[in-house]
Amino acid sequence: MSAIKKLAGIIWSVLGLGIIPLAILRAMQEIGAKPSEENWIFWSIVIVVLMPIISFSLIAFGVFALKGEYDHID
Amino acid sequence: MEQNVSSTSYQPEEVSSTRRVILASSVGTLIEWYDFYIFGSLAKIISEQFFPKDNPTAALLATLATFAAGFVVRPFGALFFGRLGDLIGRKYTFLVTLVIMGGSTFAIGLVPGYKTIGFVAPAIVFVLRLLQGLALGGEYGGAATYVAEHSPSDKRGYFTSYIQTTATFGLFVSLGIILIVRQSLGLEAFTTWGWRIPFLVSILLVAISIYIRMKMSESPLFAKLKKEGKTSANPLAESFQKKDNLKMVLLALLGATAGQGVVWYTGQFYALSFLQNACNIEFVQSNIIISIALVLGTPFFIVFGALSDKIGRKAIMTIGMLIAVISYRPIYTMMYNDANLKNKVEIAEKTEKKVKYEVKGTDSLITTVTTKAFTDGTTFKETKKEKFPVDPEAKAALPKDKLKPETKKETILPQNIFYRMIGFVFIQVIFVTMVYGPIAAFLVELFPTRIRYTSMSLPYHIGNGVFGGLVPLISTRLVEATRPGPDLPPADPLAGLWYPIIIAAVCFVIGSLYISNKVNNMDME
Repeated sequence: MSAIKKLAGIIWSVLGLGIIPLAILRAMQEIGAKPSEENWIFWSIVIVVLMPIISFSLIAFGVFALKGEYDHID
Repeated sequence: MEQNVSSTSYQPEEVSSTRRVILASSVGTLIEWYDFYIFGSLAKIISEQFFPKDNPTAALLATLATFAAGFVVRPFGALFFGRLGDLIGRKYTFLVTLVIMGGSTFAIGLVPGYKTIGFVAPAIVFVLRLLQGLALGGEYGGAATYVAEHSPSDKRGYFTSYIQTTATFGLFVSLGIILIVRQSLGLEAFTTWGWRIPFLVSILLVAISIYIRMKMSESPLFAKLKKEGKTSANPLAESFQKKDNLKMVLLALLGATAGQGVVWYTGQFYALSFLQNACNIEFVQSNIIISIALVLGTPFFIVFGALSDKIGRKAIMTIGMLIAVISYRPIYTMMYNDANLKNKVEIAEKTEKKVKYEVKGTDSLITTVTTKAFTDGTTFKETKKEKFPVDPEAKAALPKDKLKPETKKETILPQNIFYRMIGFVFIQVIFVTMVYGPIAAFLVELFPTRIRYTSMSLPYHIGNGVFGGLVPLISTRLVEATRPGPDLPPADPLAGLWYPIIIAAVCFVIGSLYISNKVNNMDME
C-alpha cells in the first residue's frame, strides 16, 4: 500500500504542475477569441483563485505522499 | 463544571447538557446561513437597488460581490477567526462571528440605494458582503469544534451532524421569510422597500442566538488546555508551517472537503439551476421539487452522522462520492429526458398563440404567448417579448443584439413526472448527506485541540466556498462551451456535470488511498 501511495504521489504532483500551463493557455485562447467582460471575469476567477489552490495543494500533497508522509495512515 | 467527554462515563445529565450545546451552536450557525442565503435569494433585487445597469464598472463590482466576496473570502475568515478561536477560545470567537454576520446583514437592509447615494451604495454593500463571508468563514469551524469537544467519542458523528443540517435549514428559513414578506406586502411594495425586511429581521434572530450562546461555557477541552497553559501561541504558523499538520490540512482538502463541496453544491444548488434552465421547469414547481427533496433528505444528515460513529467516517464519505460520480450523468439524463418536449406528443388542437401589441412611450412592445399541451399531461408556455422604437429610423439604427426578443420558457410537469423529479433530486440529497453528515466529526478528529479551530476551518471553507461555491459558475460555463451558436441550444446540456464529477472522482481516489477509516480519538479526550 505504501508503494502505491508513493507512486500516486507522482501523479498528483504532475497533475498539479500540468494544470498551470493548461489553464493559462486556455484562458489566453478564449479571451483572445472573445475579449468580453464575461470571459475576463470567468478566467480571472479561475486563474487567480481556483488554479493556484488546485495546483499548490496537489503539488504539495504529491510531494508529501512521495516522501512517505502518509504511509503511517492505514 | 468540566465535562468528561470520553465515551464510557457519559451520563444522562451530560447528554442533556450536550443537547443544549448543540442547540446553542446550531441556532447560531443556522442564522448565519440564513444571513448568507438571503443575499443570494434577493440578488436580483439587490443588483437593481444598488448597481446601475448602464455602468459597466458597477456591474463588474456586482458580479464580484456575488461570486468573490460571498465564497472566496470565506477561507480568509476561517484563518482569521480560526486563529482567534485557538488563542482566546471557541465560545467568544463564534460570538464575534455571529455579531459581525448579524450586524452586516442588518446594515445591508439600511443602505440607501444607488439612486440616493450613487456609487457609494454598491461600495458599502460590497464591504458588507465581504464581512458576511468572513464571518461565515469563522462560524462553522467554531460551532463544529465546540460541539465535537463536548461530545463523547462514540456519539461525535451523531452530535456534530446537527450542525450539518443548519445549512439546509438556513436556506429554508431564508426562503420562508422572503416568501411571507413578499406575500404580505405584494410584489411592488416588496420590490421597492419590503426586500429590506428579511435583512432587518436578522438582528432579532442574532440577538436571540447571542443570548443563548452567552449562557454557554467554554469547550471543556479548550478550557483544560488553557488552564494548563498549553494553548498555541501562533496557531497559523503551527497549522500551516509545520509539515506534520500541513500534510493533514492538504489531506482533508483533497481527500474529503473538495469532493464534499462539489457534491453538496451539485445536489442542493446546481439541481435547481438545471431544472430551471436546462429543463425549463416553471419557477414555483422547480422550487417545490427541490424543497420537498431537501425536507425528505435532511434527516439523513443525522442518520449518516450517527452511522459514521459505528462504521467510520471515511467509508460513508467515500462511498457517497463514488455513487455521486457514477450516477450523476444517468440521473441528470433521466431528468432532462423527462422534461424534454421532444420526447412528448403534442395535442395540436390545444395549442394557443396570443399576440399583444402595446406602445410604451417611444417604444413598441410585442408580447407573444404560446401555450402547448402534451398527451402525458405536461403543459408548456413560451412568452416572447420584442421591444423596439416606434420610429422605423431609430429601429434601423439599433444593433441587432438590442432587437433580440426576450424569451421565457416554462414547462409544468404532470404529477407522475413531478414525483419522479423529486425522487431524482432526493437521491442527490442523499449523496449530500453521506458526504456532509460525517465531515465535521472527521475534520475535528484530524487535528489537535490547540490548533483545531484554525486547521479544520481552512480546508472546510476552501472545499465548500471555493470548490463547491464555483460549481454554478464553472458548470454553466462548461454547458455554454458546447453551444454551437449564440441562438442555438447547447449540444450537451449535461456538460456542466464534468466539473463536480472530476473533482469528486479525484477526491474519492485520494480519500480511499490515504485516509484512515478508524475514528481518531488521540487528542479528543
